[in-house]
Amino acid sequence: MHHGMRLTKMAGTKRRILTLLACCMGLIWSSSAIAEDTAAPEPCFESRKGASESVPILLENGMPSIKCSPKTGGVLWWGDPFFNTEPLGSLPMFEGQVSGEGVMRSRTEKLTLFTVCGVACHNGFYPPVPKSKNPRALTMHLDIVPDALNLQHGNQAIWCLDCHSAKQRRFLEDNFGNPIGFNEPQKLCGKCHGSVYRDWRDGIHGKRIGEWASDGKKRWFVCTECHNPHDVQQGTRHSGFAQIEPEWAPKLSKGVDNFDYELKNADGTWKEKYLPKEDE
Amino acid sequence: MPIEKDPDASQPRARPQRVSDATQTPQLSATVSRRHFVIGAGGIAASSLLGAASLLVNSDDEKAKIEWAEHFQTHYRLMTDVEKAEAIERLERRYSKQYGKDVVVSDSPAQEGVLFGYALNIQKCIGCRRCVKACVEENNQSRGKDQETEWIRVIKMEKGEFEPEKMHQGYPEDYGIQVGGNAYSAAGVVLEGEHHYQPDVVPEDDSLYMPVACMQCEKPPCVKVCPVRATYREPDGVVVIDYNWCIGCRMCISACPYWARPFNWGEPKLPKKAMNPNTHYLGNRPRMKGVVEKCTFCIQRTREGRYPACVEVCPVGARKFGNLLDPQSEIRQILDRKQVFRLKAEMNTYPKFFYFID
Amino acid sequence: MKLLRFLQDYIGFIVRGGPTFYLWLAFLSVLIGGWIYGYYQQLTLGMTVTGLTDQVSWGLYLANFIFLVGVAAGAVTVVFPAYVYKHEGLHDVAVIGEMIAIFAVTICTLFVFLHVGRPDRIWHMLPYIGVMNWPSSVLTSDVVVLTTYLFLNAITGFYFLYQKYYNRPINKRFFMPIIYLSIVWAISIHTVTAFLMATFDTRAMWHTGMMPIRFIITAFAAGPAFIVIVLLQLKRHTALVVQDSAINFLMQLVTWCLGIALFLTLSEVVIELYQGSGESYGLRYLMFGMYGLTDLVPWFWASMGLTAGAFLMLLFPSIRLNQEVIPYICTMAFVGIWIEKGMGLVIPGEIPSPIGEFSQYVPSTIEIMNSVGIWAFGFFLLTLLLKGAAGILSGEVRHASRHEAY
Repeated sequence: MHHGMRLTKMAGTKRRILTLLACCMGLIWSSSAIAEDTAAPEPCFESRKGASESVPILLENGMPSIKCSPKTGGVLWWGDPFFNTEPLGSLPMFEGQVSGEGVMRSRTEKLTLFTVCGVACHNGFYPPVPKSKNPRALTMHLDIVPDALNLQHGNQAIWCLDCHSAKQRRFLEDNFGNPIGFNEPQKLCGKCHGSVYRDWRDGIHGKRIGEWASDGKKRWFVCTECHNPHDVQQGTRHSGFAQIEPEWAPKLSKGVDNFDYELKNADGTWKEKYLPKEDE
Repeated sequence: MPIEKDPDASQPRARPQRVSDATQTPQLSATVSRRHFVIGAGGIAASSLLGAASLLVNSDDEKAKIEWAEHFQTHYRLMTDVEKAEAIERLERRYSKQYGKDVVVSDSPAQEGVLFGYALNIQKCIGCRRCVKACVEENNQSRGKDQETEWIRVIKMEKGEFEPEKMHQGYPEDYGIQVGGNAYSAAGVVLEGEHHYQPDVVPEDDSLYMPVACMQCEKPPCVKVCPVRATYREPDGVVVIDYNWCIGCRMCISACPYWARPFNWGEPKLPKKAMNPNTHYLGNRPRMKGVVEKCTFCIQRTREGRYPACVEVCPVGARKFGNLLDPQSEIRQILDRKQVFRLKAEMNTYPKFFYFID
Repeated sequence: MKLLRFLQDYIGFIVRGGPTFYLWLAFLSVLIGGWIYGYYQQLTLGMTVTGLTDQVSWGLYLANFIFLVGVAAGAVTVVFPAYVYKHEGLHDVAVIGEMIAIFAVTICTLFVFLHVGRPDRIWHMLPYIGVMNWPSSVLTSDVVVLTTYLFLNAITGFYFLYQKYYNRPINKRFFMPIIYLSIVWAISIHTVTAFLMATFDTRAMWHTGMMPIRFIITAFAAGPAFIVIVLLQLKRHTALVVQDSAINFLMQLVTWCLGIALFLTLSEVVIELYQGSGESYGLRYLMFGMYGLTDLVPWFWASMGLTAGAFLMLLFPSIRLNQEVIPYICTMAFVGIWIEKGMGLVIPGEIPSPIGEFSQYVPSTIEIMNSVGIWAFGFFLLTLLLKGAAGILSGEVRHASRHEAY
């Protein structure tokens, strides 16, 4: 905001310190703002926890925009699949392939979540544009990529600036150095994952909600709404998804008190991994 | 098929009394009127104490009257248009009062040229059970401690392992006549699957998950065994139940190879607030005790053009749905391009629910 | 008018008796009261008052139904030798067999009413006013054959008694075709009931071609065993003359059929367990328990012990012909087969579920109360039916006696 404007005129280490301070203040301000508004419903996550959050509101038709799981905070139900969406960019289709109207939920809102970030850092000239794409340790964004020298995507063959525009930090970058918006990550991901991209385009990979007809209106979920591009490995590979908390188990049948029988061998002995721990 | 909300979608639809269809054969009308006569005369005796009990017990006169009338309605497929409209109007009145909101009971028929199909990417499923819970939200199932009804069951199977230490143990122990070489642990054994798994996070490293629900078989065993034809296949391929015709004999439950048909043991518990007012006669309208229910591919949504709730909720996009008769549809693309199998194909039920891998 | 007089005498006779008679009926009435209470609970609260679950959705009620169809079919073991072999001893008591059939079919129908979730909608099964899914649904066929069997036995039984009451000869051109039909029909009721279960190819334990013959054989053990008990009681308490030849014939039949039933069970055990595929899980669960669930194990071995024990004892003529002992042995066989049909067949057929879920089933108190109550109602009905039949057969009740009394 205003103090951010002044900051741009300063120089040297002093400016760096003040920038950090301002960032911190910004964070504190925004977190306190969230805390004040406790009456508002909790946001729920649609597909990828931490990257597809949505807050339930009451729609004009009297339906809630979403219903959420009380246990996991995952969205269970959409009152209107097209609520808060915008048109999807054009997509190359097969010849003769029918395609209906596509919409998506904008993913660029987050880029302006903390105004100070865009003003103070990602303002086009600070921090300076890196001279090479070579991996180096990061000082910022360690929450997203804890160890930039061991990026969990691409088996050490790629690094941040293979995808992120070095100059325009609010954009990704294609093979020719042209910017790709955060709303169309498929153009970036499809560079390598061609067959997955084709499946996604044809509707047989990925998530869509709305109308089932091939020429119907659908909300498409883009790559980053489900997958975390900075960590597709997630420890051992789980089909490219982060692990999440499951919903509650079905009720036990009346005739049994517990589900020990599911953890036992056919002869009634405990399966090895479920052997009751011996008391020490 | 537009999904734009009808401006008065929240209002109960006005249902003008239609004159019986011109195509109606006189023969059928005769049958119907005879039925009415017989029910009127002897049916009162045949119909149980229950109806009488509901009359006596319920102080709510209108509700009792509606339930009384419901006792004598005929099979959904045999109803004339007028009877259908009456039955639906009755239900809308009863549900709206009971749940304190404007409940719509649709009777939309199958669309021409549509045969629904479903595919599930078993490679993607992470076992999070959100489909199970979304289904409950959408389809007005009973919830709570007394009776929790779920139409989808997710089975967790072990990926299994072969270990040198087990060389002399054998598996399964009690049938091993071999000595040695049995270093086997259960791998992908459905009969040893877990239904009640509850780890902190899914997917677990050593597991794969297989959701199972109604397969909407082309040759459904449940339909064959029903003594009163309360369950039947609709033209769009969905196997439905007329909840008001089901006698609760549970033949279909025993006949189903996929264990896809739960029963309403007690009066279903459906909280007013959570009740989904957009319903279909053959789909998610609130059920009564003593009848069977099942997945209908969310008939109330799919007949209006919308994806089933489980397709929409799946956070990994493992669930795909569409028109099998449309070569452009997502389901047809999968059948053309992916490796597909049907569960228990040896039962010759020809499910329209396919499992596939990338 | 004639019918009225018959009914007057018949009813007048069956409601009169000594203190033991009334005490017995009072005792049964108490149990029937339990059924009325339990059924009220079930009607108002739903099937949730039972121990049934989505996993095990057929339980005690249907087990009793299946067993009682067997008892009903067992009546043919009296009727067939009586009219086809002209077995004199059995011909005298053929009506008793028919009365037992009436009793068994009546209460097995009541068990169906307990079993279904919407008894108020049973009329949906009827032709014309409902939708009858016939011949597709085996249940529909079962209802048809059972109802017909009830009528056939009621007609032959009461026609015979009626003629006997007026001391008139039987019109054979009317009577014999119905008798022959009822003989074939007796086989059909248990066969169709076996089809009812065996046609579920989803339930491996039921899905076997052995089912109909196993049903018939066990029915021809349990049925005559029950009839023998009844005949010996009638012999003791009423004026009815029961020839030893009748008892001996039936006991021989019980022995043979128990032997064959055991043989069939053994065959099934070998065939199912030899390779031990998933299809054998029901039987393994029943015999030894699986995954630590062992509820049914004692039932199976109790059933085996009772039937095998009864069979082995009956092999000795000294025991088989001893009318003091055979009621106990017959009870053993009867109970053994009852367990085999219920806990030994209906329940393990549903465990594991078709998608492999194991579970257990424990009948609830209300379920047991209802079942006992229906049996009590059956015995109430049977007591009256038998008293009437024995009275007419022995000549205590007849048209002439009425005029002599005046």
